[in-house]
Amino acid sequence: MTTPPRTDAPARRAGARRPLQLGAAVAAATLVVALVDPHEQGRYGICPFLLVTGHPCAACGCLRATHDLAHGDVAGAWDMNPLWVLTVPVLVVAWVVWLVRAVRGAGPVAELLPRRVRAALPWVVAAVVLGFTVLRNVPALAPVLAP
Amino acid sequence: MSTPNEPQDPYAAGNQPGAGGQPPQYPGQPPQYGTPQYGAPQPPQYGAPQAPQYGAPQYDPGQYGGTPGYAPYGYPKNSLAVWSLVLGILGFVACGLFSAIPAIIVGGSAKRAVAAGQANNGGMATAGIILGWVATILSIIGLVLFFVIINSVGWDQFMDDIQSGDYTTTY
Repeated sequence: MTTPPRTDAPARRAGARRPLQLGAAVAAATLVVALVDPHEQGRYGICPFLLVTGHPCAACGCLRATHDLAHGDVAGAWDMNPLWVLTVPVLVVAWVVWLVRAVRGAGPVAELLPRRVRAALPWVVAAVVLGFTVLRNVPALAPVLAP
Repeated sequence: MSTPNEPQDPYAAGNQPGAGGQPPQYPGQPPQYGTPQYGAPQPPQYGAPQAPQYGAPQYDPGQYGGTPGYAPYGYPKNSLAVWSLVLGILGFVACGLFSAIPAIIVGGSAKRAVAAGQANNGGMATAGIILGWVATILSIIGLVLFFVIINSVGWDQFMDDIQSGDYTTTY
């Protein structure tokens, strides 16, 4: 991600373009998911991981969860994929911060996090995703974590 | 040179600690800062000389490929290659192309950062790119096979099998 120059209004609008484009794409995708109900089996195809292994991966249920969130049903969304329900607000906040900083011409959002957090972040994400995948399939936890 | 302030040999006979008002606590350590009589080569302005002042770059795990963040001063973009590797692993294990294609893209920008001198973990970026490609190609092959196999049975049959919750039917 390149940092736009800081004193130039057209450049700052250009800097805002990327978050706005991404935001528009995500909003469009959310609209599709909200309108086309993923609860019906097969509307969106089938997840290869589920097909091959028979187990839900970390993302299983997130289309259904997004649909439920778009309709305001947070409890239903939580049943589908609790990790996703927790992640969505974080992503939304991060996008808003990105947009605001891009408009103001400030530096990349990554600068807001201290260096050690930034360096450890990918490993944390990997551990959380893989850990959630494993935990969802533990029979004792499956009712809570799996769709 | 053998003034009473020399802290060289505190245990020598006749060298009374406190002579001249400078008791040497440890051999070799300047007892006070800024003493002009201290003839040792280290000027005391450098402070506590017992710890190596040049310790920070030596602890730098950047040599291991840029993992956690004593983020050395010259390599701000080391995290790109780490993201590439993580996305590649996740793509390989679970997410397939959805994570593998970003792994390739981020790995590419990590490689550019290495070329620009802003990162030093090009090996990790290569690993992420390779995992990303392998995962992408396997996903595409899997997708093609999926459609081929489904065509042999018929989509309706497949949908019935899924909706019955039984994922173990083989074709």
